[in-house]
Amino acid sequence: MPITHKGFSMPPSPAGGNAAHGSITKGKQMSGTFKTLLAATAMMSVMASGAWAKTLVYCSEGSPENFTPSINTTGTSLDAARPVYNRLVQFTPGTTDPAPALAESYTVSDDGLTITFKLRAGVKWHTGVNGFTPTRDLTAEDVIWSFERMSKPDHPYAKVSAGAYDYFNDMGMPDLLASVEKGADDLTVVMKLKEPNAPIIANLAMDFATIQSAEYAKFLMDKGTPEQFDQIPVGTGSFSFVDYQKDAVIRYKAFDGWAGKPKVDDLVFAITPDPTARYAKLKANECQIMIAPNPADLPDMKANADVTVMEQAGLNIGYLSMNTLKPPFDKVEVRQAVAMAIDKASILKEVYQGAGQNAKNPIPPTMWSYDDSTVDYAYDPAKAKEMLAAAGVTSLETDLWYMPVQRPYNPNGKRMAEMMQADLAKVGINAKLVSYEWGEYRKRLQAGEHMMGLLGWTGDNGDPDNFFFLAGCDKDGKPAGQNLSKWCDAKFNEDMMKARTLTDKAERTKLYVEMQKIHHDNVAWMDIAHSTVFEPMRKSVSGYAVSPLGAHEFQNVDVAE
Amino acid sequence: MFKFLLKRLALTIPTFIALMFITFTMIRLVPGDPIEVRRGERGIDPARLELLRHEMGLDQPVWKQFLDYVNHILHGDFGVSLVSKTPITQEFAKLFPATLELTLCAMILATILGVAAGVFAASRRGSIYDQALMGAALTGYSMPIFWWGLMLILLMSNTLGLTPVSGRVDLIKYFYPPVTGFALFDSLWSGQKGAFWDAVRHLILPSIVLATVPLAVIARMTRSSMLEVLEEDYVRTARAKGLSPRRVIGIHALRNALIPVVTVIGLQVGTLLAGAVLTEYIFSWPGIGHWLIESIGRRDYPALQGGIMLIASIVIVVNVLIDMLYGLINPRIRHGN
Repeated sequence: MPITHKGFSMPPSPAGGNAAHGSITKGKQMSGTFKTLLAATAMMSVMASGAWAKTLVYCSEGSPENFTPSINTTGTSLDAARPVYNRLVQFTPGTTDPAPALAESYTVSDDGLTITFKLRAGVKWHTGVNGFTPTRDLTAEDVIWSFERMSKPDHPYAKVSAGAYDYFNDMGMPDLLASVEKGADDLTVVMKLKEPNAPIIANLAMDFATIQSAEYAKFLMDKGTPEQFDQIPVGTGSFSFVDYQKDAVIRYKAFDGWAGKPKVDDLVFAITPDPTARYAKLKANECQIMIAPNPADLPDMKANADVTVMEQAGLNIGYLSMNTLKPPFDKVEVRQAVAMAIDKASILKEVYQGAGQNAKNPIPPTMWSYDDSTVDYAYDPAKAKEMLAAAGVTSLETDLWYMPVQRPYNPNGKRMAEMMQADLAKVGINAKLVSYEWGEYRKRLQAGEHMMGLLGWTGDNGDPDNFFFLAGCDKDGKPAGQNLSKWCDAKFNEDMMKARTLTDKAERTKLYVEMQKIHHDNVAWMDIAHSTVFEPMRKSVSGYAVSPLGAHEFQNVDVAE
Repeated sequence: MFKFLLKRLALTIPTFIALMFITFTMIRLVPGDPIEVRRGERGIDPARLELLRHEMGLDQPVWKQFLDYVNHILHGDFGVSLVSKTPITQEFAKLFPATLELTLCAMILATILGVAAGVFAASRRGSIYDQALMGAALTGYSMPIFWWGLMLILLMSNTLGLTPVSGRVDLIKYFYPPVTGFALFDSLWSGQKGAFWDAVRHLILPSIVLATVPLAVIARMTRSSMLEVLEEDYVRTARAKGLSPRRVIGIHALRNALIPVVTVIGLQVGTLLAGAVLTEYIFSWPGIGHWLIESIGRRDYPALQGGIMLIASIVIVVNVLIDMLYGLINPRIRHGN
């Protein structure tokens, strides 16, 4: 008998009625507690008046580090901040297509160096959170403030929370962004680039490019508590922040803002680190959606009459890199022979256990520009052996590195390596298995210490460039760190650089199709699989879209009464 | 007594020094540093890695880091979490009540049931009850906490629907702020109807799981101690005086049998806090154990060092208190031999 998804509505934000219990200093904690008491008292009066509310509980996997996406890299923290905030452009839920959000439109200049954003008028900030009452709507000032926090070391908030702005740096924004300025009016933002770059729009739809309130920042700075900015968030998103108790719960309430009122009144993140406990909670209707199921629980979930398991091909790739700087992997025939010697169908069955699909291109099939005409290397050990002999390789001693941890694109690196080792032995390649601690593993792979090594990638923003750069080299033809095969192809590189400067999707597609051919023919790495993402939820949930980017979004989600 | 206490306290000083050294070293022996562990497949530019390491003070020689750490601890400064940038003592103070509440409930459960089972088994030595109880105690002692917790959830919550799965409060029905951090108290304070009973229901499963091992130990210890005491002359005398068996066991034997049991209970505080790490993880209990597990994953050195030091301090203090209690119930110690 399902329990009704009703709860008590959070109070309509009494002044200062919000507190992040994980963050504030002692003196402030008292006032924070007092304020939360006020909030609870107000809430109780709502309860007494009998105002019921629709509540959606999401079983998340951990506590956020804070609520400012620009200083975070973990999905857990980004998920927790996302209900509160918006970006200039955002991915349409369930897709990787950037669509206008806080900017209602944007234009790119002919030379590709200037992007002009027209902001939506009348975008309201959350009111009453942490005692802050905004006096104005969103303006260009907020956009400039948000980008300059990441780019200017002398920004008043640059060092608050020891911000490292990893994503901003990793996406190459410092080399790309010349300036962010106010345009003709308060609702126009002009972004100047150092060089034309088509993927930047996809970058701006990523969480690090979240727009925060300059007025709230000033309010806290004047109060002498700037660190609260990253712990008690004020945004423009569909849910406003109510309360956070570390390792326990995050609460939000619906906000009737520019995107309209969400379908549920209250959103609750129940922090539940163990996947089996999450599923137990889902079964008991203590939460209605859960993250990251245990693969072993999937058959039971699919058989459960109260549970739906949504699935989608993940925006990822698991691959085997062969170091082209180490003979005989400098010979393309040897790499091709390896690709033919490994039985990928068995790996998909044994390692992915049905939760993955064969990969034949470096980008996943859900991504635009995917070339479905690519013919994958067929499993043919006899031919592989012939090709190796023709290349002068009769017996080969090599290493084969596998990651020590489970990753979204590879559920069991060790098992996969063992299967590959057995396959390679059949064609006369003797592979010794090697592994290191995860951080050490990546570092050594990037330094090119391996001959053969397993790794993979999960996309950040849905732009093909976000996958192709992994096989790219710099302007001098030197392989970048993330290019594990240390493979450089002039044509591939030229196409990649050119595609970045083009804004026409059809033209870019043409180049990416060509690059997929080059990548495939040269076996820049051996494509293994794209894994599937599963999202279990109660049957009473509707409107949820599985994000290929691994985001969890609830603005369109409803729960049946 | 005062001399005894002073001696006991002096002995804790080398323990603390050893603890500081061990926690600091052990954490650094785990491969991977706090910056690299955060990075995904992208890796990190070496120059940027150096910059971030410098900002966190990780580029200093290890001995210097250790001296800094000792210096700060001596000044009562346990450092700031590398992840949340919050002082460790503040994080600890917020999370510790949850652990304390769970540990106390488990301790009370283990003590009452353990002593009762031990006395019952001893008074029926060799009977089927004795064998069944001691068999159950042995099973309880060998129970893997993780498995036991998940089994109880499946049975009690999913199959029978008797208890909530995890957490401290029904998130849909109740919302009250953590005034003291103790859910039992805060739920009462909130005045919300049914909140206290809801908090009790959430405590049942984790308390049972956490109490299992100490309960088994206490039961076995009480039984053997009771058996020893029941052989004593004064018990024989009490029996010969014609006192009822209940009075002989309850008054004359139990009081003396409890002396070693009290020590065992004190030692179980460490077991309970260690068990709380896994129990809190399974039951999404927002306490110290849960926090330490996350800190290990994130290589949050200050949080781990500070957290372990604070927990160890509590275990040491409890053991000193137990020693004092021991003195109170054992006149030979109280009167200085």
